[in-house]
Amino acid sequence: MIGRRWDGRLEMTAVFSWGFTSLAVATFLGMLVLFAAQSLPLWRHAGAGFLSGTTWFFRAGQFGVLPMVYGTAIVSAVALLFATPLGIGAAIFTAELLPRGARRTRLAVKTAVELLAGIPSVVYGLLGVLLLRDFVLRLLAPWDPLSGDTLLTGGLLLGIMVLPTIISLSDDALGGIAGSQRLAARALGLTRAETVLKVILPQALPGLASAVLLGLGRALGETIAVFLVIGRQDNQWPERLLSLRPLTEAGQTLTSKLGGSETFLALDDPLHWGAITGLALVLYAGVALVSWIGARLALPGGGRA
Amino acid sequence: MRRSVGRGWIDRAFWLACALCAACVGVLLAGIAGAILWRGLPVLRPGFLTAVSSEAGASGGVRDEIVGTLILITTALLVSAPLATGVALVHAVYLRSLPARRRLLVALYTANALPSILFGIAGMVVFSRFFGWGKSWLAGGLLLGLMILPTLSVALIERLRSLPRKYREAASALGLTRAQTVWSVLLPQCAGGLLSGALLGLARAAGETAPILFAAAVFSGAGLPSGLRDSPVAALPYHIFVLAQDSFDPSVESHLWGAACVLVGLVLGLSLLALPARLRAHEEAQNA
Repeated sequence: MIGRRWDGRLEMTAVFSWGFTSLAVATFLGMLVLFAAQSLPLWRHAGAGFLSGTTWFFRAGQFGVLPMVYGTAIVSAVALLFATPLGIGAAIFTAELLPRGARRTRLAVKTAVELLAGIPSVVYGLLGVLLLRDFVLRLLAPWDPLSGDTLLTGGLLLGIMVLPTIISLSDDALGGIAGSQRLAARALGLTRAETVLKVILPQALPGLASAVLLGLGRALGETIAVFLVIGRQDNQWPERLLSLRPLTEAGQTLTSKLGGSETFLALDDPLHWGAITGLALVLYAGVALVSWIGARLALPGGGRA
Repeated sequence: MRRSVGRGWIDRAFWLACALCAACVGVLLAGIAGAILWRGLPVLRPGFLTAVSSEAGASGGVRDEIVGTLILITTALLVSAPLATGVALVHAVYLRSLPARRRLLVALYTANALPSILFGIAGMVVFSRFFGWGKSWLAGGLLLGLMILPTLSVALIERLRSLPRKYREAASALGLTRAQTVWSVLLPQCAGGLLSGALLGLARAAGETAPILFAAAVFSGAGLPSGLRDSPVAALPYHIFVLAQDSFDPSVESHLWGAACVLVGLVLGLSLLALPARLRAHEEAQNA
């Protein structure tokens, strides 16, 4: 509690603060409303079939979101499978297993990781185009892919991109656990591995889950880097849903579709434009949900908030 | 206490596995930094920064792109800074209940994760459909400003939170009103936080491509903007984005690495400038 009770005068600072905050909140919610309103022609045309539709062929007026959702899901899954074990393992190593005197090392690592998290996605995309694409092409040679632009390439690149996020947030989660817990565990004769696995990890679990979810949020929404390496060919809704084959083929995600030339093409046709903004609406809702859960886990209620 | 042989081995295996993860990450991240520097630095002659791009990016430099990026991020900051200050003050001063503060913070984290392409699409709807603008630096700056708003707000909130409680108590004891407390205690004490938050926001805005894709950026032929509505700018990330889509010409490739190096230098430079203030805030928060 700061300051005296309100004395009846209008306080300009408060008015402006609340005004600016309302403006900010209104703009972010307004984007959601904007996408919903712009996609109305589509909902009238396709209804809920948009969400369950398995084909996207705009010349025939067929709009189904699932092929793009499928691409996004595959790419994000590859990214998390790659980044989660690697990131959490590395965070455990720097936070728990390095000798306690190595504080400075830990700080240096954290700084380096955060700087890497700041490298623009277009630069990661460039690295993907010039280096990773050839690597994946050679890696996949036995399955004889058409090019290095595949869902797998997109997923690996995303994995590299979310790695700093996951490491940094996991490190925060581990650092939030009191040192006395570690001392007590070691004093009871637990080994380092047992201390980490049985004492630290169970307590850090919400924080680690949040790290992975916020990483997932970034992976779901990343546009530019994925766009450059994924080939941007509409996924045929795979007849072989459980097959790994699509990994070796070019694909399309929600974001690469939105960033592509179809967005310009669609401007003149209300229905097509409705479909594009419908995709934006789906992406907004999905990412907001995942990150909202992640943020709630990262910011436990009570005292500090 | 005696350790059984098995436990010792498990412990060693666990240590090794984590060390391997850390080593992989280290090699990967060092490789990324190394690749950018190794390929980009040789391209960075002084002329590269001051010449205009020519032959569709195969020769010349990136002067217009640097200028355009600076225009965009300055606009973004001017839009975003007052709004973010307002949001941070609402969180720190005007919201009384803890649950409401937490909701605001969760909302900011969520907004921070929104995909940048959504700002691009929204900008296309608002500026080109509703307002009938062509590509414009102002539209790009507004979109980028909106995008960095959550980042900036969170940085400010963290700084305000790390201020020792006694400052506020002293202000209260002196009989300052809330507005006086804000203007003569909280904001001056947080100047460092404002600055580092602003630098981080600038760094993030400088690297983004998706928000300016449809509403602001063009590939070439844009120098200084001459108006508001139909005056596109060039921008470093957009330049790289376009060139990367057809990178088979070796001279384009070396040009690309050079541009990437400039962009990374700009972004990391801004983040590094923000670093001392952030570290100090971190320390103060721990000592408070």
